[in-house]
Amino acid sequence: MLVFVTVGSTRFDALVQSVFSSSVLSSLSEKGYSNIVVQCGNSEFPYVHLLAQGEQSFQLEKDGVAIECWKFKPSLQVEYEEADLVISHAGSGTILDVLRMDKPLIVVPNPTLLDNHQEELASALEQLGHLKSSTTLQLARTIQDFDPSSLVKFPPFDGSKFQNLLDEEMGFI
Amino acid sequence: MGPFHVSVCVTALLILAVCTRIYYILPRSKSFRRPSKSSKHCKLAVFLGSGGHTSEMLALVSSLDFNRYVPRTYIISEGDTLSERKVAMLEAAKAANSESDMAKNGEIYSILTIPRARKVHQSLLTTPPTAIVSLLHCVYYVTIKQYQQTPCPYFADVLVLNGPGTCLTLCLAVYLNKFLGLSAPKMLYVESFARVKTLSVSGKLLHSLVDRFIVQWPQLLKHSGRGEFHGWLI
Repeated sequence: MLVFVTVGSTRFDALVQSVFSSSVLSSLSEKGYSNIVVQCGNSEFPYVHLLAQGEQSFQLEKDGVAIECWKFKPSLQVEYEEADLVISHAGSGTILDVLRMDKPLIVVPNPTLLDNHQEELASALEQLGHLKSSTTLQLARTIQDFDPSSLVKFPPFDGSKFQNLLDEEMGFI
Repeated sequence: MGPFHVSVCVTALLILAVCTRIYYILPRSKSFRRPSKSSKHCKLAVFLGSGGHTSEMLALVSSLDFNRYVPRTYIISEGDTLSERKVAMLEAAKAANSESDMAKNGEIYSILTIPRARKVHQSLLTTPPTAIVSLLHCVYYVTIKQYQQTPCPYFADVLVLNGPGTCLTLCLAVYLNKFLGLSAPKMLYVESFARVKTLSVSGKLLHSLVDRFIVQWPQLLKHSGRGEFHGWLI
């Protein structure tokens, strides 16, 4: 099974470092995830030197997992589509995209962001059962305990709510 | 009465008049509704605040009947080419699905570019000058531009807002129209889906200035006296 990891458009050093750690990789391997694709963005982590000389990606075999690491992937939609599990930062755009594709999602809010509302969104959606929220330190544990079938299906986009709101306001209905 | 007293009196009267006018143009209770429109069309303006803000706003706009909300004006921040591309994609997709001649004629949407009121990481000290430049652009588009053309068009019937900062300068420009008694769009503010427990800075600034203030998490209603919650809109 395939895991896709993304940190968004900037960087999230602690999340990439955690994903490359032996504890997280062996937890993934135990759960049957043999391949992972990582979009690391501009993050700093121990293997980042493998990306040197203008290379866009590198491959690595570690703790029983085949890792493919990209600086930036052109289209994330394709990656979400192919993945059996997505691990990401808690940006609202990524969360919506992944949940709308009915993919199991573990988010790690980035605590270094100044105006941190990632944490709020992650725990609110976790309480509703749509995803699992974790931290860089607890990620291995979260993966071990994670049961994708226990997640609550996220409602599809319903444009009629805003349509009705504006139509009513503007006197069309 | 000396000249000093006269000027004090005049100033006091002026301030009173301005305050009365501002009080008069502030939004009333939310039960107020514009009477049914005689026109079949509604001129729509949408502020696209880049990144996640743009995605959310365009998702909302995509749900609308484009034959009804026409023409459409998208307001973006300077240098935000990604939002510009996303607008073109949405408009092309809608036009492809539409039977109407209007959609195929082009000229049904436009993009206005406004300098950012405050750049990311810009220090608070240097914000006022850039905010003023941004405000002047907004005033030009919202207030002045329409009087340079005949027949005189108006800016929009409704302006949909979401963060960040630059949307405040747009809102202020609309208030200038209201203050002067010129045509002014209704303003709808939709707080981001990402805001669960605390309003964004733009939300806090705008919540008593806009006609409808819509949040996507009920927890936010505690903070905003005039807020509305209709479930997740996106």
